[in-house]
Amino acid sequence: MPKYSLNENFGQFWVRKEGMNYLDTAEGNYILFTLTKEGGPTKAPANPLGEENLRSAGKIHYPWVVSGQASFSFLSWLTVAAILLLWYLVTARGWVSAFVLPSPANLWSEFQVLVVKGYAGKTLAEHILASLFRTFTGLGLGIAIGVPLGLLMGSSRIAYAILGPIFSFLRPIPPIAFIPLMILYFGIGEFSKVALIFLAALYYVVLNSSAGVRTVPQDLVRAGMNLGLSRTKLFAKVIFRAALPHIMTGIKTATAISWAIVVAAELIAAQAGLGFMVMDATTFFRVPNVYIGIIIIGLIGVTLEAITVAIDRKLLHWMGR
Amino acid sequence: MRNSVRSHRDPGRVKISLQGVGRVFAPTSKRSSSVVALKGVNGEVFEEEIVGLLGPSGCGKTTLLNLIAGFDRQDEGEIIVAGKKVERPGPDRMVVFQFPALFAWLTVWENVVFGPKERRENAKDYEPRARSLLDSVGLKGREHDYPYQLSGGMKQRVQLARALLNQPEVLLMDEPFGALDSQTRSQMQELLHNVWSLYHPTILLVTHDAEEALYLCHRIYVMDCHGGIRETIHVPFPFPRKFDLIGSTDFAHLKYTLLSALRTEEERPDCHRQVGEKTQEGEAK
Repeated sequence: MPKYSLNENFGQFWVRKEGMNYLDTAEGNYILFTLTKEGGPTKAPANPLGEENLRSAGKIHYPWVVSGQASFSFLSWLTVAAILLLWYLVTARGWVSAFVLPSPANLWSEFQVLVVKGYAGKTLAEHILASLFRTFTGLGLGIAIGVPLGLLMGSSRIAYAILGPIFSFLRPIPPIAFIPLMILYFGIGEFSKVALIFLAALYYVVLNSSAGVRTVPQDLVRAGMNLGLSRTKLFAKVIFRAALPHIMTGIKTATAISWAIVVAAELIAAQAGLGFMVMDATTFFRVPNVYIGIIIIGLIGVTLEAITVAIDRKLLHWMGR
Repeated sequence: MRNSVRSHRDPGRVKISLQGVGRVFAPTSKRSSSVVALKGVNGEVFEEEIVGLLGPSGCGKTTLLNLIAGFDRQDEGEIIVAGKKVERPGPDRMVVFQFPALFAWLTVWENVVFGPKERRENAKDYEPRARSLLDSVGLKGREHDYPYQLSGGMKQRVQLARALLNQPEVLLMDEPFGALDSQTRSQMQELLHNVWSLYHPTILLVTHDAEEALYLCHRIYVMDCHGGIRETIHVPFPFPRKFDLIGSTDFAHLKYTLLSALRTEEERPDCHRQVGEKTQEGEAK
């Protein structure tokens, strides 16, 4: 007898698995029932879609498929612990020179020094805030201008025809390729970095917002018109809301990209910021500071990601993800 | 409970009047030619009547419904709903879409009251009506659910309640049960009958399912494959109709008549169809 057998029965699948029998419901749940004869159930549950049946059966579990929300679990912490352990072993046994890779203990004491003394005349907090300030200013401007611009491009053929070529041209160019030009135009001050982040954020927000508007299902717009909505209300209450998942994707991508770009921009020319600290420390062979800078950049990146994901879940809870 | 059409064929109570309606779609590319979707369509729907629009796929059923709804403009003729020429979409002609066009970010309740609320009507008027409508379509207790939590049949119930709350002159249903499984479809057909016997809406129902048309409608317009009306069938079965009806000899006989008419249309060699009309409807612009 095969391990699994499928019989189509009035459009539903009865799944047999070694005495375990499931009814596949539309919701993707599986209902347990008893099978007494080959070919189909002879006795259906009294209340097949009842809460208790659903709970008793649960879902079929495929170990190689991440079902539901992937979360930071025990295994993830294990990865972190394994990396730290490996780092400790490699440095404690002297497999790698302490100059290239400082030990965790060494890095921790250097970190404490950095917190107290700062770096290059500025405190660590000032470096972090410098980077964050540039990111949020550029990103904020990019969102504030990009969302309306994207909505306009998505809803007006004329606007799309006029602005489309600009964004098509920008598409294949990595934003950091504009760093030299920005320095040429605006010098090495704050403005050149903010302008660069603004451009990169704008690009992602505009493209996603306009795609969001263009992919709103026609029937949804018609339903709104059918209910007697004015043009402005139709846009605000239907089209914008329906495009919001795309807009949020744009904002999430723009946030991640902005943080990566601010560091890249600071590596090339700056007097403060985490990127500056990493580059400057490399120049003067202050290797522990390089590592500390990179770790802080990573941790802040992860935090920004977590914040945008949380906002996304809050705003788009109705998607049922 | 009244179960017959009070105003059946009373000329003073015409809700939809179609007078020589024609629609030609311009060619979509240089190679293709223009498509005559509708040609000289005449017909009417009386108050409280359920009229079916039955025809082979691509015969222009949905095109006609879109014209009445005001989503599209006809090239010829006139469409008059409750004494007024159709010019733009409006809540006097509510559409129930085949693929439920619910606002996914609103709860069941918010979806149902969306129209009157956004038109700033008096909540004291529409809220009690919304409650009883939700009750009569069997959605009591699901008011706070979001569309993603509902099955296909449930979503159609929400659409039906949302449409009826606007107290439309006519209800335009575009294959409303076409995307449902057969058991849910038959439940929904019964539900539609119950709702009709409570509120007596005037309904124009587009379908390609002969059995559904016979079971639900007072009258059926059978379309030909050239975008015209081939014949009108008066369905003699009295209301309320029970499920047993579809097993009767008379029903089977009428169904055979309808199916052979449809088959004749589909097999005509000079038939030109707007292939893919339906699939484009539910998709993005």
